[in-house]
Amino acid sequence: MDPVVQLRKVSVRYGNSNGGLTAVADVDLSVMPGEVVSIVGKSGCGKTTLLKVIAGLVRPVSGEVLFNNKGVNGYSKGVGMLFQSPLLLPWRTVIKNILLPIEIINGDLESYLSRAYELIEKTGLKGYENSYPWELSGGMQQRVALCRALIHKPPLLLLDEPFSALDAITREEMWNLLQEVITYEKCTTILVTHDVREAVLLSDRVVVMGGKPGRIKSELMINFRRPRDLMVQYTKEFNDYVVMIKNLIGD
Amino acid sequence: MRSKKVKIINPILTLLTIGVFWEFVVRTLNIPNYVLPSPSTIFSTAAKYSLYLAFNLLDTLVAALMGLAIAAVFSLALSLPLAYSEVIRDSIYPLITGFNAIPRAALVPLLALWFGLGAVPKVLTAFLIAFFPILVPTLTAMITMEKELWEMLQSFGASKGQILTKVAVPRAMPYFLSSLHMGLTSAFVGAVIAEMVASDKGLGYVILSSTSRLDTPLAFACLILLALTTFVISKVLSMVERRVVKWAYRVNI
Ligand SMILES: Nc1ncnc2c1ncn2[C@@H]1O[C@H](COP(=O)(O)OP(=O)(O)OP(=O)(O)O)[C@@H](O)[C@H]1O
Ligand SMILES: [Mg+2]
Repeated sequence: MDPVVQLRKVSVRYGNSNGGLTAVADVDLSVMPGEVVSIVGKSGCGKTTLLKVIAGLVRPVSGEVLFNNKGVNGYSKGVGMLFQSPLLLPWRTVIKNILLPIEIINGDLESYLSRAYELIEKTGLKGYENSYPWELSGGMQQRVALCRALIHKPPLLLLDEPFSALDAITREEMWNLLQEVITYEKCTTILVTHDVREAVLLSDRVVVMGGKPGRIKSELMINFRRPRDLMVQYTKEFNDYVVMIKNLIGD
Repeated sequence: MRSKKVKIINPILTLLTIGVFWEFVVRTLNIPNYVLPSPSTIFSTAAKYSLYLAFNLLDTLVAALMGLAIAAVFSLALSLPLAYSEVIRDSIYPLITGFNAIPRAALVPLLALWFGLGAVPKVLTAFLIAFFPILVPTLTAMITMEKELWEMLQSFGASKGQILTKVAVPRAMPYFLSSLHMGLTSAFVGAVIAEMVASDKGLGYVILSSTSRLDTPLAFACLILLALTTFVISKVLSMVERRVVKWAYRVNI
């Protein structure tokens, strides 16, 4: 099987050639189909930048980015993205927000309507199809955003601290939901997070980045079978992973 | 808790108090009518000239509203290409800003020279003053968007046109509609100024001619009419606003 995403010696600079800043340097990373990879690291070490490179929103100054074995130039069309804030359009109802990518990609709303309802059902938003985003709680809004990220069956889901604005209880609910959905959708996922526990719980592999300029320091496989029960957090193995990763980030 | 009734009654009471105080001052100090007419004189004058005032108000109203309508359509239409392309924006917007620096009242004689003394210079002046306060907030709302939202749209492969129609324009609607309030008062200013400089009709003309023959009560009647009219139209606009962009009023601050 070929990787969905391959980064080879990717470096990114912001600003012009003399006064700029190297945000990411010589990053090699491959993500296999169906894999869930988390990227952790200190603030400002280039995690978001790396996601943007994969999405084709930022061009590397050197190195190669392959998406399904094809070079990325322009935007990697079709990736699903979820950010810290849900970024819903307040003048659109839930269902219309979810269908926004379809409107833009091919306009074939009819054939995706049943999928939209399926996702709504799965994410526990049934009955809120015609509500407006501002009538929903923060967690519900983020679930709408998740549906929107998945509606077009993206081959790759990019998540940038998607749950960091939520309270602890809602976040755990979202962990369960995300596991359920990406298992069902068999979605390849890259998750950027500050929360080491979240990274260990959700991913097959945790990539630790170090900063100035951002590089990959090390990688760690998480050997629990997915999807995982929230109780796994309280096992010794889990905590060993967490401590190990914290140490890797720390020095 | 303040009820809705109180909200309506309180300003009316304030107004009445001011009116009574005004009447009292004018009477006790024996201020002549041509300096400061009392409210009662203003009302009796307004009643006496009601038909004359109504016709002239209609004239001003039509000119201001037409100016406003043209300004609204023009601003919206112009904001689309300006929002669409940075090149267009950079080449046109500075000129518009520069034009806005010209006192538009100074253009009225020119407009009268070109278009005569009819309704055209009035409508044009109203339009010229009203379009800028509508264009600026509308355009600003269109071109400011969360970076991440823009990136997400890019990742779907959205074209500039799609971003404009699906996000920028709906986003700008509340700003556009609320800017119509500013546009409304500006349009009235424009129409009245044009009437003062180059017209023989309309409330602007009536104010000018009445003050020149020291008929100050009539001028005051015109001012009050103007205030009332813009107030009522403004209220109507607010109602339309709340209907059309309900989503923008999700919180009641
Ligand atoms: N658009 C930009 N222009 C210039 N510099 C930028 C830009 N975006 C990010 N940077 C810089 O690049 C570096 C990496 O930023 P990035 O957002 O990728 O970090 P991050 O790891 O996601 O941080 P955080 O955890 O705080 O979100 C930072 O030093 C930041 O200042
Ligand atoms: Mg970040």
